[in-house]
Amino acid sequence: MTGPTPLALKVMPPRSNEDRRAVLRELYVKYGGSVRERCRYLLKDESRAEDAMHDVFARVLVHGDSFRAEASPLTWLMKIATHHCLNQLRSEGAAWRKWFARDEAARSEGHGGAEAMETRDLVRKLLARVDAETQAAAIHYHVDGMTLEEVAAVLGRSVPTVRKRLEHFAELGGEELSVR
Amino acid sequence: MSAHESSWTLRRLHAGELSAPEATRAREHVDACEACGATLRSFVDAQAAFEAEVPFERFEAGVERARARQAKASVEPATRAQWVRPLMAVAASVVVLVLARPLLETHGTADPVRPPAAGNRLKGGAGAELRIGGGVDPQRVASTEAPEALQPGERVRLGYTADAYRYVAALSVDAQGEVTPLYPESGDSLAVEPGVGQHWLPESVEFTGAGAERVVLVLTDAPVSMDALSDAARKAFDAAGRDVTRMAPLDVAGAQTQWILQKP
Repeated sequence: MTGPTPLALKVMPPRSNEDRRAVLRELYVKYGGSVRERCRYLLKDESRAEDAMHDVFARVLVHGDSFRAEASPLTWLMKIATHHCLNQLRSEGAAWRKWFARDEAARSEGHGGAEAMETRDLVRKLLARVDAETQAAAIHYHVDGMTLEEVAAVLGRSVPTVRKRLEHFAELGGEELSVR
Repeated sequence: MSAHESSWTLRRLHAGELSAPEATRAREHVDACEACGATLRSFVDAQAAFEAEVPFERFEAGVERARARQAKASVEPATRAQWVRPLMAVAASVVVLVLARPLLETHGTADPVRPPAAGNRLKGGAGAELRIGGGVDPQRVASTEAPEALQPGERVRLGYTADAYRYVAALSVDAQGEVTPLYPESGDSLAVEPGVGQHWLPESVEFTGAGAERVVLVLTDAPVSMDALSDAARKAFDAAGRDVTRMAPLDVAGAQTQWILQKP
């Protein structure tokens, strides 16, 4: 480790309200629907989902540099939204484990017909039985339809590691959740 | 007919994120494939429904409220009694000026910061540093190789060199096994500061109480929830026979540095 570095105060010019409004409008038009769907899928509550969605987009404003550097802002947003909602459920205590298994009216993620809906419901019901990283992997793979390589990139893991986690997840859910 | 496009590819097409050749290929497929066409239309419909149900003004107001809440949370001091952050009511920038500068600056060649007994370098170019100061003794950098005794009134500050890692988090575990998330206090780990070299986490912290306290700084490629990190710390504490001085590294991905501080 190198020697001590005097701390310099960094002056960050604030983003003007007009700039921020333009950024938000673009986010709203391009990604609002997708992020809200993810929050609704996991939280199963309109009001909480909207609050969670606001939190996710607020992070874009706070971490604007990281966001702009992303090759796929959609990937960044869906990763953050997934993580945020799963954390929110976990932070609410032991009851969260029962949350996914509740037989409430499932909210549509928008496409894919009955078969895809069943897969999404099955995934959600099994989430409480696996660790946080497997949860995220299962959602990105089975719900988002990412490839193994894309999931590995999102999670910062190798493809074999992701495959192993998804195969473990599939053991809980059967053929419908097989990894290709 | 070629294989279907993945729903993720179609979602990226809808968001306008595909490169021109990829978008052309995907559009040609969608035009000829009923199933993929329906999938793409469902994304268009979902966005339209979202805009109808959540007007932009409501969205904007909600995001701004969340942003203000997050900004406030990021500068508020810890409330746990074990940690004391002086001048709690003062604005964050002033805290940095008042607390950090005296703690971090050297005082000329006659009063250099004492280097650590052993280096704190992590894998690759990453590194971490825990600096102690503010007391009667000269400033020093804590070693990772042996417990570091704190004197009354001394504060600590954490620094890191991220190298290729993208997120940073820190927590502490006391002798009773109580885990305190430090940076951040909740939510997910923090994005590292842009730029090469060492960066300092905000504010300095002062311990109260007595006994050993282990401080852990973790650098990761992906965000990690502080809940998950705290759980890993509790497991490591239990695995060490509930002896905070004997804990193994936390079972989390990434790189980490640990220090043991002996409170006065």
